[in-house]
Amino acid sequence: MAKILIIDDDETIHLICKAYLSKSGHTIATAFDGPEGLALAESFKPDLLLLDINMPRMSGFEVAKKMKENPATKEIPIFMMTSLKQESNIQRGYDLGIAEYITKPTNIAHLKLRIEKFLENKK
Amino acid sequence: MLDLLTQSPHFYDYVTVAVLLLGLFNVFEILFLLYNKNMVERIEREKLALKRLASTALITSTAPAELLPGPAAEYEFAAYSEAIASVLDSFEGEIADRARALIGQLGIDDHYRRLARHRTWYKRGNAIDIMASFRLKASREFFLAVYRSEPVHDVKYRIIYGLSRLTREHADIRALAQMLSALPYLTPKYTEDIFYNIISALKAEGKEGEFGLFMKETLNDQSVQNLVKRDCINACFAATCEKGRGLLKEYYAAYPHEPEILIASIKALARIGDFSKMPEAMKNPDWRVRLAALKYAHLCCADLLPEIRAMLRDNSYHVRINAALALAKAGGAGRAALQAEAASEDKFASAAAAYALTQEPA
Repeated sequence: MAKILIIDDDETIHLICKAYLSKSGHTIATAFDGPEGLALAESFKPDLLLLDINMPRMSGFEVAKKMKENPATKEIPIFMMTSLKQESNIQRGYDLGIAEYITKPTNIAHLKLRIEKFLENKK
Repeated sequence: MLDLLTQSPHFYDYVTVAVLLLGLFNVFEILFLLYNKNMVERIEREKLALKRLASTALITSTAPAELLPGPAAEYEFAAYSEAIASVLDSFEGEIADRARALIGQLGIDDHYRRLARHRTWYKRGNAIDIMASFRLKASREFFLAVYRSEPVHDVKYRIIYGLSRLTREHADIRALAQMLSALPYLTPKYTEDIFYNIISALKAEGKEGEFGLFMKETLNDQSVQNLVKRDCINACFAATCEKGRGLLKEYYAAYPHEPEILIASIKALARIGDFSKMPEAMKNPDWRVRLAALKYAHLCCADLLPEIRAMLRDNSYHVRINAALALAKAGGAGRAALQAEAASEDKFASAAAAYALTQEPA
């Protein structure tokens, strides 16, 4: 079972993702903003990061950039989950080295499958 | 009056009473502020707890309304609304259906419909914002009815925003464009967001073609402001309207004297990989149009290098410097042209070329 870190400023997202993903036995940690998430990424060492873009203090792009610059966190695959659908944002995300760009609204059951499939292929 | 007070034998008594009253007032003011702070914090805590409760009920139960206390106070409605809007923004499928059902079951929709008719405009605006976040198809007719009777522009802008998220066909877009044109122009960002919402709503329904139909109709429609048309093209740029290629060219041709529309068309066309208007745009009399074309010139136009090089002598500084930057990004031939120009006698061209050579190639 995997360790998943969720960085999103909306607690509802934490609760819902946590409820669905922990059903499959995954361990979930949550952070409300970039700096908190970056610190947690180093200590929690997740197998996957679910990251929002629009957050206070630091955007998801900045978080992804910092994660990829840090040798301790650069290997952590990032799933960006956001309502920003513009091509330029999607491109920017992939340029930063994210694994997946998921646009909201998304089906939580499909999200869970995508995460599990990804983690399975990574093994 | 002042003399009467200062000469009075009770002067110091008056001063003492005034100081005491002021002190008392300050103490009450501090107590009131502390009470108010405490109350606001308590409400925020209760609101957060209700939001958590609503989210948990939506996750764990197929009938969440049975687990939730009915909202009575304004903050209770706000807490449920925020939780529901958050779910609807982020998720679809079963959980979103439950959240949508909760709006009616808890009387949230009725509450905000009443508030949308409140005598205070900002309460009406807030109610419209919340209803818009639910994106309920049933709200469309209500929004239209409220729009007709709404006297305040600030609220009307919010109603249009709400309607833009519920677009079904090109007739709706046309109505929205006319509403926008009838109001004072707000900001490019606002209008672009409206059209972006429209395109997104139509794309989600597989009806992107409806937007093309609207753009076609609007091309020569004088009742729609040119600024609105420009923002509509900019929204196309943001949303990458690949099906609009032909129409964007028609807009470019139809508005030769509207630099804003020309610039928006060039950007939107470049985004979908169409650079056919570049040579023409680089000769436009308006320096802003020439500049917009130069921003994309390095992506397409190896055969236009002589024209770009000639623009190093343009009478606009912005065009000269961007022509040099375009050459710097255009590979070996472009940089060779810059090296030749750096030794030119034209001091403007040589300065721009020398600067561009210090920049990294694309």
